[in-house]
Amino acid sequence: MIGNDLVDLKVASVESNWKRPRFLDKVFTIEEQQLIMNSKNQHQTVWLLWSMKEAAYKINVQQFGKRFYNPKKLVCHLSSSTIGYVTIENRTYYTRSAISKNYIYTVASLNYLENYKSVIFKVENDSYVTQSESVKNRFIENISKSKGLSFQNLSIRKNIFGVPKLFYNDFKLPIQMSLTHCGNYCGYVYF
Amino acid sequence: MTKNELIAKLKTIVEPYIQDEEAFKNLSEDTDFVKDLKINSANLVDVILDVEDAFDIRIENEEMEKMMSVKAAMDIVNSKFSAK
Repeated sequence: MIGNDLVDLKVASVESNWKRPRFLDKVFTIEEQQLIMNSKNQHQTVWLLWSMKEAAYKINVQQFGKRFYNPKKLVCHLSSSTIGYVTIENRTYYTRSAISKNYIYTVASLNYLENYKSVIFKVENDSYVTQSESVKNRFIENISKSKGLSFQNLSIRKNIFGVPKLFYNDFKLPIQMSLTHCGNYCGYVYF
Repeated sequence: MTKNELIAKLKTIVEPYIQDEEAFKNLSEDTDFVKDLKINSANLVDVILDVEDAFDIRIENEEMEKMMSVKAAMDIVNSKFSAK
């Protein structure tokens, strides 16, 4: 299983104010808050940890079919600036992140060193609907080419927990996938 | 506060964060913050903090876990009021 999450850093600074009272405390453990406070680029660290939690959460929902909202329960551990893992209860999800000046992108996998394929791309239009459609289309295009399946017959359907699955007509394909978009950036990952 | 007043107040709280106008117009008890209103998950923290400020209550993380719909938010606010 796989999960990804992307944060457009410019959008995050406009749409979210992590400095507002009680924000950090709702989302991050004491250790995570210390990591943020001690880092040179606090904004970047906030959203790096956030994207790790989100990517890991996306796997947890697939595994257990239960949605919940409690980011603090997903605990981040960093072994380098971009490699780490997230734990929740007794589960572990391995994370690899990409940090640029414009965005932070994290892929979480259930298996350590999962051999997945991941793509990040930019879109000019940042409306939610356009972005959501772009990332689906780009992903389907990629699968269509790489697996030799006709584009028209491929579609993405979300299950009741909001987890997307790839279908060829009515047949669910054995592909693990995750999609994300934020601001001007989109990402997909699969194996 | 009546049920309709509570829904109306929650509606003004979530408005700045919604990304689906149609679902917002039709907001009801059954509306899901993420699936329907497409509120991004980081802004869900803001919704929760705004609810705390608006009703002068504090929501524990365990209670927050379920707070993904209008109905769940109403239940939490009501339980805090009855405990007051």
